[in-house]
Amino acid sequence: MKKEHMIGQALRGLNRNRLRTFFMMAGIMVGITVLTVVLSAGMGARERIMERVRVFGLENLMVWAGGPTDQVRLGQGTGGTPGVQVTTTLKIEDAQAIADEIRGARAIAPFARRGDSEASWRDRSYTTPVFGVTPEWRDVWDWPLDRGSFITDHDNQSMSRVAAIGPTVVRELFGSEDPMGQMIQVNGVPFEVAGIMGVKGTSAGGGDMDARVFVPLVTYMRRVANVDYLSGIRVQVRDLRDMEAVAADINALLRERHNLAPGEPADFRITTPTEITAMVEEMQGTFNLFLIVVAGIALVVGGVVVANIMLVSVSERRKEIGLRRAVGAKPRDIRGQFLMESTGVTLLGGIAGIGLGIVGNLVTKWLTGTPVLLTWQVLAAGVLFSTAVGVVAGLHPARRAAAMAPVDALRS
Amino acid sequence: MEQALIEARELSRVYKKDDSAGVAALKGVSLEILKGEFVALVGASGSGKSTLMNLLGCLDRPTTGSVILDGKEVSGLDEDALAEVRNRKVGFVFQSFNLLPRTSALENVELPLLYTDRSDLRGPAREALEVVGFPAERFNHHPGELSGGQQQRVAIARALVNDPEILFADEPTGNLDSSSSEEIMALFTELNRRGRTVVLVTHDAKVARHAGRVLTMQDGQIVSDEANAAGNNTSQASNDPGADRQTPSPNAENQA
Repeated sequence: MKKEHMIGQALRGLNRNRLRTFFMMAGIMVGITVLTVVLSAGMGARERIMERVRVFGLENLMVWAGGPTDQVRLGQGTGGTPGVQVTTTLKIEDAQAIADEIRGARAIAPFARRGDSEASWRDRSYTTPVFGVTPEWRDVWDWPLDRGSFITDHDNQSMSRVAAIGPTVVRELFGSEDPMGQMIQVNGVPFEVAGIMGVKGTSAGGGDMDARVFVPLVTYMRRVANVDYLSGIRVQVRDLRDMEAVAADINALLRERHNLAPGEPADFRITTPTEITAMVEEMQGTFNLFLIVVAGIALVVGGVVVANIMLVSVSERRKEIGLRRAVGAKPRDIRGQFLMESTGVTLLGGIAGIGLGIVGNLVTKWLTGTPVLLTWQVLAAGVLFSTAVGVVAGLHPARRAAAMAPVDALRS
Repeated sequence: MEQALIEARELSRVYKKDDSAGVAALKGVSLEILKGEFVALVGASGSGKSTLMNLLGCLDRPTTGSVILDGKEVSGLDEDALAEVRNRKVGFVFQSFNLLPRTSALENVELPLLYTDRSDLRGPAREALEVVGFPAERFNHHPGELSGGQQQRVAIARALVNDPEILFADEPTGNLDSSSSEEIMALFTELNRRGRTVVLVTHDAKVARHAGRVLTMQDGQIVSDEANAAGNNTSQASNDPGADRQTPSPNAENQA
């Protein structure tokens, strides 16, 4: 029997009983729809993570005050838990030491932040992260400046009360008025707005990076927070390939400076982009696994439905099978026909499911704002899984049909 | 003597029902059918005539004995080889037509061609429908839209489409009114006249009258083998057409 005739026969067989075909398709369609939506959402989430890692900066690492065992720590960006920093051992001198001794480090940006602070102008106020920083901050973050000037070395040396504010802060405090040169209060301390940051977007932790107030590090430590320690140091490495080596060097240097005995828990943490990626992906992976299990169950149920209906179809079509055998069909022709039908029906169901999944993607995006990404892998997975379900579900019914003796089948 | 086209040797068929001893539907039947003969198998229901036809047509396997088609032993063939014999050597016509529902007349006739290595199915199918006198304007009609006689013509065209040497028909007029029956029998007669060997199962004496040789079955055995002068027989080796008497064949004598 020729292949093209086999496909034609299968399609005609399906067309002869459209209701049955529809029911078989429906089960697979649901499974593939779920699979498509899940995989697209997963791909979208993954893409967003990668985007955040890019925002974080691939050639940067972060030294955080507070070891892994410390209870309260500074939130990472604003996505973490804003808490009161209790670790007081990371000093501005540590940053200086890194700058002096770590050859792989290109730029070092120490910063301080104590939770969120209240910034106000006239009768308006806005609670937002306030950072004490040095000029290097802009370099290590590749942070755009819209107008005016950022924090300078001179500002730090002279403990000036100047601020550079993000576009969200501008909108919240000033509306349509020009903030340049205006005096804002940060925790009751007046600062002159000297610069306006460009749009930076969303942080790795999901926070709004445009809701930031930057003031000189020294001014912040002495006048706003009244502390003598840092929250963290952001380090840009010279060569991306040295990332882990630089992290190890900094780790050794800080342990020595902090007089930590071997084995003693550190009072700081170093995070690299690889670690962040791994962490977020692990979180996403668990979620994806759950959804893929759901889609898998839907596909198994769909497969059982197809297998059942195919079995019914085989016994309903005994006469047709007997006739085909009588006019010269070999057992393998019959087996092929029913396998082709079950595979055809699941493949069609799968294609319909992919179509519905694309609609589902749009709905998901519209309802939740979650990014979705339809890649060729998603389409391939849909086609592959639906075909596989068809083959597996059709195997037994097809074998049963092929085993019928022509004369018995005709007699019924 | 000319070699028989169909030869049965001591055919028996026992239908086993679970653990019982089984029912012998056929008890050691031997016969020879020559090329071009028009043979009717008659007998009461349960006499074994359909069982015999199924065995001769390779639809079923004998419990013991052998079937030789065109000099070739077929009883021992595997499923695939039997399927090829059914596809090329024989054509079947059934009482209930057995057409695929919701499928055009043309596509029904194409069915046996599917199981060959031919690419063009349409051409031979059209030809076969024309041979059986099926109206061309109905080629695309479904069985449900056709009369019984027309459906049986489609079924005959399907049996003929691979140009088999032997045409088996099991009660082909059983579901037809008398005028359609006459037309269908005329068609079988015409096909036999053109050289096709026809083996027909019937319990209707009027139908059997068209055949040149009538085998009567009873209790799984052939009890008489008669030439029918009024019937048709294209075979040169048929019994003397002038003989008015009923002459049992040597095979029938063996059975008696």
